[in-house]
Amino acid sequence: MIVEWIAGIGSLTLSQLSNVGRASLILIQAIVGRTNAGVHWRLTIDQIYVVGVLSLSIIIVSGLFIGMVLGLQGYTILTDYGSEQALGQMVALSLTRELGPVVTALLFAGRAGSALTAEIGLMKATEQLASLEMIGIDPLRRVVAPRFWAGVISLPILSLIFVSIGCLGGALIGVSWLGVDSGSFWANMQASVEFSDDILNGIIKSVVFAVVVTWIAVYQGYDLVPTSEGISRATTKTVVHASLAVLCLDFFLTAVMFGEI
Amino acid sequence: MEIREVVFRRDQRVIYDGLTASIPRGKITAIVGPSGTGKTTLLRLISGQLNPEAGDICVDGLSVPLLTRVELFDLRRRMGMLFQSGALFTELSVFENVAFPLRVHTDLDEELIRFVVMMKLEAVGLRGALDLTPSELSGGMQRRVALARAIVLDPEMIMYDEPFVGQDPIGLGVLLSLVKRLNQALGLTSLVVSHDLQETLSIADHVIMIANTRVAFEGSPQDMQLSEDLLVQQFLYGRPDGPVHFHFPASPIEDAL
Amino acid sequence: MYSRGTELSVGVFVLLGAFCLAFLALEVSGLTKRGDSGSYRLSARFDNVAGLTTRAKVSAAGVTIGRVVGIRYDEKTAGAIVDMEISQGFSQFSEDTSASILTAGLLGEKYIGLMTGGDPNYLVDGDIIYDTQSAVVLEELIGKFLLNMSSEK
Repeated sequence: MIVEWIAGIGSLTLSQLSNVGRASLILIQAIVGRTNAGVHWRLTIDQIYVVGVLSLSIIIVSGLFIGMVLGLQGYTILTDYGSEQALGQMVALSLTRELGPVVTALLFAGRAGSALTAEIGLMKATEQLASLEMIGIDPLRRVVAPRFWAGVISLPILSLIFVSIGCLGGALIGVSWLGVDSGSFWANMQASVEFSDDILNGIIKSVVFAVVVTWIAVYQGYDLVPTSEGISRATTKTVVHASLAVLCLDFFLTAVMFGEI
Repeated sequence: MEIREVVFRRDQRVIYDGLTASIPRGKITAIVGPSGTGKTTLLRLISGQLNPEAGDICVDGLSVPLLTRVELFDLRRRMGMLFQSGALFTELSVFENVAFPLRVHTDLDEELIRFVVMMKLEAVGLRGALDLTPSELSGGMQRRVALARAIVLDPEMIMYDEPFVGQDPIGLGVLLSLVKRLNQALGLTSLVVSHDLQETLSIADHVIMIANTRVAFEGSPQDMQLSEDLLVQQFLYGRPDGPVHFHFPASPIEDAL
Repeated sequence: MYSRGTELSVGVFVLLGAFCLAFLALEVSGLTKRGDSGSYRLSARFDNVAGLTTRAKVSAAGVTIGRVVGIRYDEKTAGAIVDMEISQGFSQFSEDTSASILTAGLLGEKYIGLMTGGDPNYLVDGDIIYDTQSAVVLEELIGKFLLNMSSEK
């Protein structure tokens, strides 16, 4: 009984490790080595359009609403201590340090990550990947690599847009609606937000999330069982694994970046 | 091309156990056999998409399982493959699909690419469909476009994976005559995997029948008709039970009830 | 195969990202306020700096003119030395300038207020201000208050 239980843990660990190993191999084969840079660049631009530009609307709308909610909630809490002026600081710090990178990565996993998995999976199921191989092209290079780079480039940009819109949303509620003085709102924000500490760290976070989320998405797509059931399962896996990875990593990154304060 | 003593397993299931066959150059070879015997797997082994557990596959003197990735891709340029579903790139037009191997592997200028693509599309009778996307074509037409793409680099060998599945009689006739014509006109070594027996046998020069993890028969279509082998007989005449069992392996029904 | 529209929208997308980065740098973190015009360093010696942190504001007449960059213990005088970076634009502090640690609101953060005097000579880079007023420690204040109450009785 106990032996079986331990053996179960062992086999689970082994299978997870082999997953990680395969995912690493796929990534390394996809992005290391000789490529036709020109063609590659064009394909990447196409993919930035698909994963980045098409995610803009959801990012802008969510950024605006999260900023406005932060404005409202922050105001209610801060008035209790008579320090509404700190609203700008609160909105900006929570957005640049945490909410911006994390929420953008979660939305990205749901919007673009699942689409990447499904697209690559469909290409596998319809033998397009095998057919590329027969034509003598490595599908990892042609299909996986451009999508990976597009994800890594797009997510930090989306995150910057999210944070900016969020700050404006917070200002909209705080200044225009609740009547916090516009001067102290922005001055407090500027006094407390440090470019190198807060904004750069936020960008580093979102680059890390971008690598992880896109990696999980392309791996799940490339490695899935090529049936309709396999595709739907892999899509779900992408969203679940990517979200969990983002939240766990966020904790560790935060501990490293802001832990000593 | 030689296949020697190939052993292949998928998970625990043995697909091939000592498969040996040879495929003559410049002829149409049919690979037939009951469903689930891994006929498509054989094509993937030949093209190096899968590696056998043991045994060797020689194409034109090269041992496929031992090739490096680069050598393998070079070899594949000399092979064409027509997939079951056609496997056209859905985001590209018909023209771009056929032009794709040219763009990747050659430095031809646009005019020449256009010329070659037109010739190939003319050969499959779909020059008019140039600017359509694959989703606007019927299944049979998609397969013909895929055929044009498979031969655009003028390969020495072409493999057809179930080309006749789900075709109406007209589409079937078109494809049959295309396979035959291409073989005669270009001297292609053709490999047709199918379980549409009568149609396939009508164009094949050489038949390899796979059943129960081995080659059950190898020879000319005429010899196959005359074969006394029970397995071949069952397959040719479509008898429900025989050496290939109707029942999935199970314990006797008395025990199960 | 590659449409002009795709390229254009990707270009706009990347520019939007750059614009947002600039917005965050300038408007949200106020990057221009420091560094570009240069700064000079002043120090001040306090008896007690309880609650003051690095990066705290330095202000004169309520206007932010600099930032605390370092706090260290001085063994010679048994006090705290606070290093401040003051923007080059505010260089006319007389030699008898006084510094005090103030609190923004009742529970707000601590900051340093500079009050210039009448001396014709100005402080220059590296000078130390000795005329200081230490941080108000709430516990001491309450202690004094209670002491006064009991002695009045």
